[in-house]
Amino acid sequence: MERTIRKKRNQDEGDAHMAKTIAQINEKIKAGSVVVVTAEEFTAMARTKEPGQLAQEVDVVTTATFGPMCSSGAVINFGHWNPGIRMEDITLNDVPVYQGLAAVDGYIGATAESKYDCQYGGAHVIEDLIAGKELRLHARGKGTDCYPTKEIDTYINKDVVNEFYLFDPRNAYQNYGAATNSTSKIKYTYMGCLLPSFGNVTYSTSGELSPLLNDPYLRTIGLGTRIFLGGTQGYVVWNGTQFNTAKERNSHGIPLGGGATLAVIGDAKEMSTEFIRAAYYEKYGVSMFVGLGIPIPVLDDDMAGRLAISNSEIETYVFDYGVDGHPAVGKVNYAELQSGKIELNGKKVKTAPLSSLSVARDIADTLCGWIKDGRFLLSEPVARFPMDSSVEPLRQRRAGQDASEGAER
Amino acid sequence: MKKRFALRFAPGLVEQPLVSKLVRAYDVDVNILNADVSSGRGGKLIVDLVGRTEAIKQSVSWLGGIGVVVSEIVKELVFNQDSCVSCGGCTAVCSSGALQMDREWKLVYDASKCVVCGLCVNACPLRLFELSMERGA
Repeated sequence: MERTIRKKRNQDEGDAHMAKTIAQINEKIKAGSVVVVTAEEFTAMARTKEPGQLAQEVDVVTTATFGPMCSSGAVINFGHWNPGIRMEDITLNDVPVYQGLAAVDGYIGATAESKYDCQYGGAHVIEDLIAGKELRLHARGKGTDCYPTKEIDTYINKDVVNEFYLFDPRNAYQNYGAATNSTSKIKYTYMGCLLPSFGNVTYSTSGELSPLLNDPYLRTIGLGTRIFLGGTQGYVVWNGTQFNTAKERNSHGIPLGGGATLAVIGDAKEMSTEFIRAAYYEKYGVSMFVGLGIPIPVLDDDMAGRLAISNSEIETYVFDYGVDGHPAVGKVNYAELQSGKIELNGKKVKTAPLSSLSVARDIADTLCGWIKDGRFLLSEPVARFPMDSSVEPLRQRRAGQDASEGAER
Repeated sequence: MKKRFALRFAPGLVEQPLVSKLVRAYDVDVNILNADVSSGRGGKLIVDLVGRTEAIKQSVSWLGGIGVVVSEIVKELVFNQDSCVSCGGCTAVCSSGALQMDREWKLVYDASKCVVCGLCVNACPLRLFELSMERGA
């Protein structure tokens, strides 16, 4: 597949008069003459126009998602106490903050839970800080010659700490399996409440508006890509964890579930609770809705073809969360999922989204506005992400046992 | 007029035909919205009583007289809609159609369709639903 893409790209490079560069697009942004539309608008345009024509007419397409993303968190530097403390046990509103860094650096993970209230966690701490609230900081240290203080109990807000930035190891899942439940009991999962006997199906991407579905081989999205994150500008800083480019793809290049992911970073002090929201999933735990938008340059016919992807061309499997290993029980496309009903085992089953398409649309529109106003320039990736990355499970093994031996178990 | 009540009764009353009695003796229509009744354990009905004001009043008084604990449901479901992000998680469990996504993918709540099943309370990741207070009747 990679070979065919490369071949296509060479053809595009041959048609140099057709292709645009990111630098040229940025000149248009600065001149106020850039043409930018959302991915949904672009897909609608593609019903009547060929990719070649669209590549000429449109410069940038904005994509977005606003869904629960557990692998999120924030770095905080609290500032030094006087006399100093080496914080070795830290909580914010009773939620544990990871302390294994330098004296007053901490990392608050979105899914960390309060010691006293399982419905309040790291995501709520992050949302409350962004909202400008005062949070109680408690920290202990053993006391050292250079950091003699052993305990502090005080209040912080985002303005009194030095740094407070979001750093999410895995966001923007390219695609994700839909979920259902074959058992006779309701299942409470990170995919929402799954009613018994295949009573419903939930799904969690914004379909044709979703960032990595519009650039399925990550041609334009890589290390250093400037993005919309939580209401402000952020950056892609690595591939996300569980980055999987070896996933089975359909004829449109769309991975069937999972796929690529992004690690992202951005200044949480500048973010808005409109685009960062804490969530609690019953009998599962805390997660966080993260608003993420990525502008994709329409460099050539190939990119225009990718960006024209429509919901009916984006497929995913339906997995049964009632059975260990979550076996697939069906395959659907997003036009079907978004219609409100799909057919599963010959029966109509109600579908429900878990990620907010309406907020994702707000993000895509906002990003369009920033680009049109010349406030947001596109960035060339500093490096591209690996296209041969797969995901392995954790196996029981002896020290020194090689991977293939473990795989035979 | 129409009023919504929660009727709770002890195991001994499970065998009584409460609904048909209301219909015949008091000329009220009874719409059962939710029923949790089992022999030996007592039960709870959520009903709409539809009829003349006086007839509903007499029905409630008769039910009270035979030992049914009657409380009027003041508000079906309290929904803090201002904080809603329209994720749609609640629509996964709402079979009455009270919670639905509109054409713009915004969540719409139609209180008149709600059957007070309460599944949305736990389905909402932002915890924006609460079952309402009942008022003794």
